[in-house]
Amino acid sequence: MSKPVKQNPPIANRILAALPIKEYQRLLPKLEQTNLIFAENIYKLGDIIRYVYFPTSGVVSLLARGEEGEMLEIGVVGNEGVVGLPVFLGVETSGNHAIVQGDGTALRIKTEAFLKECGRNGSLPKLLQRYTHALLMQVSQTVLCTRLHLIEARLICLLLMMHDRMKTDEFKITQEFLSKMLGVRREAVSKSAANLQQRKLIAYSRGIVSIINRMALEAAACKCYKILKEEYANLQG
Amino acid sequence: MLATANPNDAQKNYLLAALPEDEFTRVKSKLEPVSLKLGEVLYESGDKMNYAYFPTTAIVSMLYVMENGATAEIGVVGNDGVLGVSLFMGGETTTNRAIIQSAGNAFKMKDKDLKAEFAQVRVFQNLLLRYTQALLTQISLTAVCNRLHSVEQQLCRWLLLSHDRLNSDVLVMTHDLISNMLGVRREGVTLAAQKLAKRKLIKNLRGTITVVDRQGLEEAVCECYSVVNNEYNRLLGRGMSRTFSKREPC
Repeated sequence: MSKPVKQNPPIANRILAALPIKEYQRLLPKLEQTNLIFAENIYKLGDIIRYVYFPTSGVVSLLARGEEGEMLEIGVVGNEGVVGLPVFLGVETSGNHAIVQGDGTALRIKTEAFLKECGRNGSLPKLLQRYTHALLMQVSQTVLCTRLHLIEARLICLLLMMHDRMKTDEFKITQEFLSKMLGVRREAVSKSAANLQQRKLIAYSRGIVSIINRMALEAAACKCYKILKEEYANLQG
Repeated sequence: MLATANPNDAQKNYLLAALPEDEFTRVKSKLEPVSLKLGEVLYESGDKMNYAYFPTTAIVSMLYVMENGATAEIGVVGNDGVLGVSLFMGGETTTNRAIIQSAGNAFKMKDKDLKAEFAQVRVFQNLLLRYTQALLTQISLTAVCNRLHSVEQQLCRWLLLSHDRLNSDVLVMTHDLISNMLGVRREGVTLAAQKLAKRKLIKNLRGTITVVDRQGLEEAVCECYSVVNNEYNRLLGRGMSRTFSKREPC
């Protein structure tokens, strides 16, 4: 379900937006628009990466796999980043699962065309390097957050990261999904979500989360959220 | 321990050893040998990094540091890699503390030299980028392991990762240090170490841990260990595990 990009759209992906106009125009004919559909697999672990995605809206979750198929979200990508980074780092297969966590759209490019642009010594490699640094920080933060912080604070962190990347205050998310992302049992997610609802920070019904009190959520989130937000704010230097 | 003066020792670092001869010769002139002591801090969270380090016998632990001082290890770097990925990735500072986990030698390279070589030498650049992907996997699996596995399994993983990067079976290490690295209470570490000692996998005496039964540890460890190893093997052409070559490829 993709069509070529006909004219210069407002560039909603921050990496593409940071390219000099000449380089962007060189890339443009290679970019095709595609929809990101909730719960869709973009890559599974070990898949060959055929396309690199620049999300323009929505959220993609990166999940690492533990034993017996348990999963844990190690990072999220929205319009600040790129899905398919291993290709840039010289690896043709995906080291984790990439699943759409919030509906949206992306511009995608065939891996060969992407690599060709990376080899031109333009601005793209530099932007991708900085993005890699930010992602490394995000994954590192996940290590500490999963170790030290309570489920509720982590749930809030996840909701805020999603809210930042979605254009709306309401988005689809199932408890099953959340339990996978956070690496905790479903009951624990239900309990935390119910608690946030009772405090009127969110509303949650039939798989739809509404952010009601963003400020209070930020106050209740663990420090990790603030640190990551700053890291990404510094991305474009 | 004196810093080794022979620049060819730099090839004990696998990344440097993977460089073609002429590139290695070029890079070698920018390397400076350095000897690192247990517990020495190479940089603090928020510091500007002036050097990258290529360990040959030392092991460096990267700890993520929170504002309240809480720490957890996100990864280790030994002769398999380089400390200072942020430098060539264009991040000036990190939120990590780099602390020497096992005393030994390394070669350091100035920030600006590393950036210049990275920009100019394609084979060096490719190597460092692939290493970055391997490091990303290592850090991701640390998160998975923290979340899903017992302290005992984590301790096994940590011991094997260290053992792979050492030339001996003896790790000089206190439970306090391990507790900082794993981000668990010291009592938890002590209990897990006692269990492993009882199963005769390790010997735990006065600030040292001796690996007695390497194979037993590998049987007790969670999958995280082999996933990381496979990734290193795939990306860098060699697994780090001492017994890796004996294993079935997967």
